[in-house]
Amino acid sequence: MLLSFPALWLTILLPILLGVLAWLLGKYESAVKALIYLSGFVLLVPLALVLSYYASGEISKSIVDPIYINLVSYRIGTFYLGIDGLSAPIVIGISIVTAFVSFYGIKYMTKRIEEMKEENEKVPNLGVYAFLYNIFAVTMLGIAYSSNLIEFYIFLEGTLISSFLLIAYYGYGDRKKISLLYFVWTHIGAVLLLTGILYFGYLVGSFNYMTLLNGSLTPIGSEEAILGGATTIIALLMLIGLFVKMAVFGVHMWLPYAHAEAPTPISALLSPNLIGLAGYAIARFVFQFFPTTMLTWRPYLLTLAFVTIIYGGLVALRQKDFKRFLAYSSISQMGYMLLGLATLTSYGIIGAMLIYLSHAIGKAILFMSAGVFITELKNLRDITKMGGLAKKYPLTAALALFGFMNLTGLPPSVGMWSEILVVMGLVQSYMLRNLASLIGFTALLIVSLTLTGAYSFIMMRRIFYGHSRSKIEGSEKIDVFKLSILGVAIFGFVFFLVINPLISSLNTSVITFIISSLGR
Amino acid sequence: MITVYSNWFEWSSIWLSPFIGAGILALLWLFNVRNEKVYNIISVLSIFISSIVSSVALYDVLIKHEIIVAETSTYWVSLLKIKVGTYLDGLGAIMSTIVSWLSFLIAVYSVEYMKKDWGVQRYFFFISFFVGSMLLLVTASNMILMFIGWEGTGLASYALIGHWYTDEEEYWVGVPGRKALGLPMYFEPSTSGIRAILFTRVGDVGFLVGFTSLFFIANSFSIPTIASTAGTWMGLLASKGMLTAFLLIFTLGALAKSAQFPFHEWLVTAMTGPTPVSALIHAATMVKAGVYYILRFAPIFFIGAIAASSLAVSQTQEYFYIVAGLAVTTVFIMATMAIVSNEFKLILAYSTAEYLGYMILAVAAGGLFVVTHNYTAMADAELAGIAMLLAHAIFKAALFLIAGYALHATDSRFIDYMGNFSKYMKVTTISMWLAGLSLAAIPPFSGFFAKELVLENVAKTGYLGIYIFAVLAVFFTAAYISRLIIRVFHSPPYQESKEHHLHEAPILMLAPYTILALAALVLGILWFYTGKGLEIGIFETLGIQASPAFNVVVDASTIIITTLIVIDFAIIAYLYIRRYNFMAMLDRSSVLKSLHTFLYDRWFINSALYYLFLYSFMGLSWLMGVINTAIDLFYHYVIPKAGELASKGLRAFFRGRTDYLIALYIIMASIVILIVFFGW
Repeated sequence: MLLSFPALWLTILLPILLGVLAWLLGKYESAVKALIYLSGFVLLVPLALVLSYYASGEISKSIVDPIYINLVSYRIGTFYLGIDGLSAPIVIGISIVTAFVSFYGIKYMTKRIEEMKEENEKVPNLGVYAFLYNIFAVTMLGIAYSSNLIEFYIFLEGTLISSFLLIAYYGYGDRKKISLLYFVWTHIGAVLLLTGILYFGYLVGSFNYMTLLNGSLTPIGSEEAILGGATTIIALLMLIGLFVKMAVFGVHMWLPYAHAEAPTPISALLSPNLIGLAGYAIARFVFQFFPTTMLTWRPYLLTLAFVTIIYGGLVALRQKDFKRFLAYSSISQMGYMLLGLATLTSYGIIGAMLIYLSHAIGKAILFMSAGVFITELKNLRDITKMGGLAKKYPLTAALALFGFMNLTGLPPSVGMWSEILVVMGLVQSYMLRNLASLIGFTALLIVSLTLTGAYSFIMMRRIFYGHSRSKIEGSEKIDVFKLSILGVAIFGFVFFLVINPLISSLNTSVITFIISSLGR
Repeated sequence: MITVYSNWFEWSSIWLSPFIGAGILALLWLFNVRNEKVYNIISVLSIFISSIVSSVALYDVLIKHEIIVAETSTYWVSLLKIKVGTYLDGLGAIMSTIVSWLSFLIAVYSVEYMKKDWGVQRYFFFISFFVGSMLLLVTASNMILMFIGWEGTGLASYALIGHWYTDEEEYWVGVPGRKALGLPMYFEPSTSGIRAILFTRVGDVGFLVGFTSLFFIANSFSIPTIASTAGTWMGLLASKGMLTAFLLIFTLGALAKSAQFPFHEWLVTAMTGPTPVSALIHAATMVKAGVYYILRFAPIFFIGAIAASSLAVSQTQEYFYIVAGLAVTTVFIMATMAIVSNEFKLILAYSTAEYLGYMILAVAAGGLFVVTHNYTAMADAELAGIAMLLAHAIFKAALFLIAGYALHATDSRFIDYMGNFSKYMKVTTISMWLAGLSLAAIPPFSGFFAKELVLENVAKTGYLGIYIFAVLAVFFTAAYISRLIIRVFHSPPYQESKEHHLHEAPILMLAPYTILALAALVLGILWFYTGKGLEIGIFETLGIQASPAFNVVVDASTIIITTLIVIDFAIIAYLYIRRYNFMAMLDRSSVLKSLHTFLYDRWFINSALYYLFLYSFMGLSWLMGVINTAIDLFYHYVIPKAGELASKGLRAFFRGRTDYLIALYIIMASIVILIVFFGW
């Protein structure tokens, strides 16, 4: 359905406007804080939009912003903003996490900026942070709203530039070098994607992957016939570009640095929200444009997925830095997302999109818990110095456990649904073919899922249980800082109960444009 | 039998009530309410509601012969076609009644036991959550709900086993410092929690794969539908030769949760939790989940195989044979471990794993009759399984609750420090004897009837090897329980410890185990009614086609075995009363000494598993760490360095000379032209 007023554009432009105001009013700290609160609430609007979309019952259609940019005459296509079943969980994830993290960031960043000032470093004020943060948040939303490859790419660059600057200004460690490293590597990924996109657009004559039909955004469908011999190279360029962004095994080298050394509110956006968007893009246009190619590549994709899961999990187990551990865990989780996608079944793809949501919620909780200790316990992130923190920080411990439950798929967290659906996808695609595949894939799943459980619960123990391995002074005070973590967690439980609209709308959209083009 | 459809909330309160209780507790905690009493009352009350509703359900099922289906009218998740609700047939109703009442008694006991504990709020939250999960599991109408309950019990047991997560030595299990094959044999609470959740998780993945597969081959998650289409999907799998493997994967979760070899290791270290938790895990929740699962699905496999094809029948028989083999292995090895252990709770833990083995063995023995299409044998075996579950739940809960008080009284988990309890606590002693005799399978206790039924069913299969080991374990059982009772209650302690004021337990602790111990006796004396109830219940269970027999056939083997058990029990009791020095015997003989070590260190299975799996994964993790460093170096050292060197080299060569640059330009341009010319 076409919205009657440009709500989606507003959700993007309003936070930017508030950000600009915060930047201009940078000297007046209380004004900036008020603006951050305000933009946090504005960032929740997309969630409300999605919920009203679910409530409307027209889940087979999409909601589209009435304002669009028409560049058909330049052979570029049209830039719509819209939300449909496939992007709805993504929008939910971004909306929840960015909103609560912006509340969370106030205390964290105030502390961080003070700390950097004490170290006599030149640091931009909170207003600049708020401005960049809001740009980062809304450009991610923009990626989920997009209907055109160029539009997608512009938003993608927006996320990269803003997050790069945030790391460079407020990061930890050798932040100049790490931000550059992050920028260069993910930009290489982006450029590969762009090359593929441009070649595609040159041959097809349009960059659209969705077009407006009867007031609803409808996917274009397979372009393999038009592309002909160029299909393989374009698909490969797009996939590799997105894999770098998604940090699957082999091209994940930038992620542990960037996610570990970014200021925690930014880590809590990078890891839960940004990398998963590449997985969403694969489902959104790569599968749509090249269905039969993907079908032939399925075994390789599945292999890559399992390698990423197991590799990420095993390396995560060895980490001694809380945030770096979470970074490797994210790599492993992206493996699950790829696994769901690579099954090329409706259940698997639904599962992958739900992994986006459950990982967003779970990992955001965990990064925010890590930030609690950084802020309140003098930059404590070394796991070997932790232990026994549950007694001093019971709420944080409980929330972290819930975060881990989201990753391991334990009820009552939304992670259970993603786990079930990804496994269903694998069952539907391969497992019941013969005895060997049944036993083999079961063994692989046992290793993968047990490994995820192992690193989750072992880290839980190292951080929160046992005796404390260093002198820790401090105790938990309940404030907005921690309540914002609770806010994210509540949604993890709510979506466990109310999963039906998400799955149903995912199903209709996945069925219409992925499975139908695969002929199944 | 009539199927009655009702509103979902009417019967779902069985599992909803503890969940709501847990939810309220969580909210109270968030709003900073820390009053212990509030937590006690809400938790106990929420479980009590479940007990009442389950009892009503049991009445409806057994007396009114109803099968209750209480589901929501709309789908919870429409893609997966699942509704929220409860399915109560004979098995479900019996299970939910056992679980809820036992949990209720244990929760009451906990009120006293956990008084002034620093984590009491968390404790009662997880107890309610645990009970709710277990009740959801046994009454679930579809596999997803069952899975939620299943994972919920796993999570709650993780939290409760590791309840004292600060890992003080008094809460460990095992002798501090003791090693087997170079690996420690003592475990901290937080480690035990991890062991519990990871060991069972291995099986859970099998469960997950199993039921998601059923969605594609049986087209439903609904348990009654899975049962009614069993012939189709089993036939399909059998034709591909996958049925045995599939059934094993499908029930892997049950085997892991019910601590069958080689998954038993998690259960024996689960003793680090507060003792009421052990009672809950061993008697009412968690491990019984696996047995329930087998009880639920074995009859379905049975009818499905027969309906499908002869191929399916032979593969199903193969499956039951493997399960029976695993079960009898568990029975035997756990019984042998129990006779040497000197930790009160550990002896009971070994015993639990052994009894779980008996339950699963009984059902698997019935399943073996699939080849002869003997529906009655399957029904009999199912009854033996549930009878054993009932009897065990009652006496084991009693024993653990007594253990809780004993440990509390002496501040030690080792029986060496306990002794002469009978002088100080009469009622506790009587309860111990009642529960112990039931465990030893001495008539007329309920344990006797249950064990007789199990052995009868195993004997009927004609697999002599399995039967012999099952019978041998019976004698070990009588021996270890006799040893435990005499050493703790009737002979002075082996090691003197600091002065204790031993006295009878406070009423809130005493009452639950006394009630349970009496129940162990009364259910046995009134076996005609108990058995009759179970008979009706089993006959009204999904997949059961015949009315089972609950009467014990007293034949020569019964009399001989029972007599030998009594003699065995008496001899051991006599030897311990006379303080026969077994340890000196060990010192004299090196063979006996190493046998003792072998048994004490649990057949070295723990170490073997660690070396096989944990260490291989640690090795793999190390290797991945190396690869990770290599990748990192490649991207962040080799590539930049290569770029730097190339830049240096080129600059050194060109040195800004225009002629070189023009030459390069011409060469490159010609290459591009050639490519375009030939390539396109």
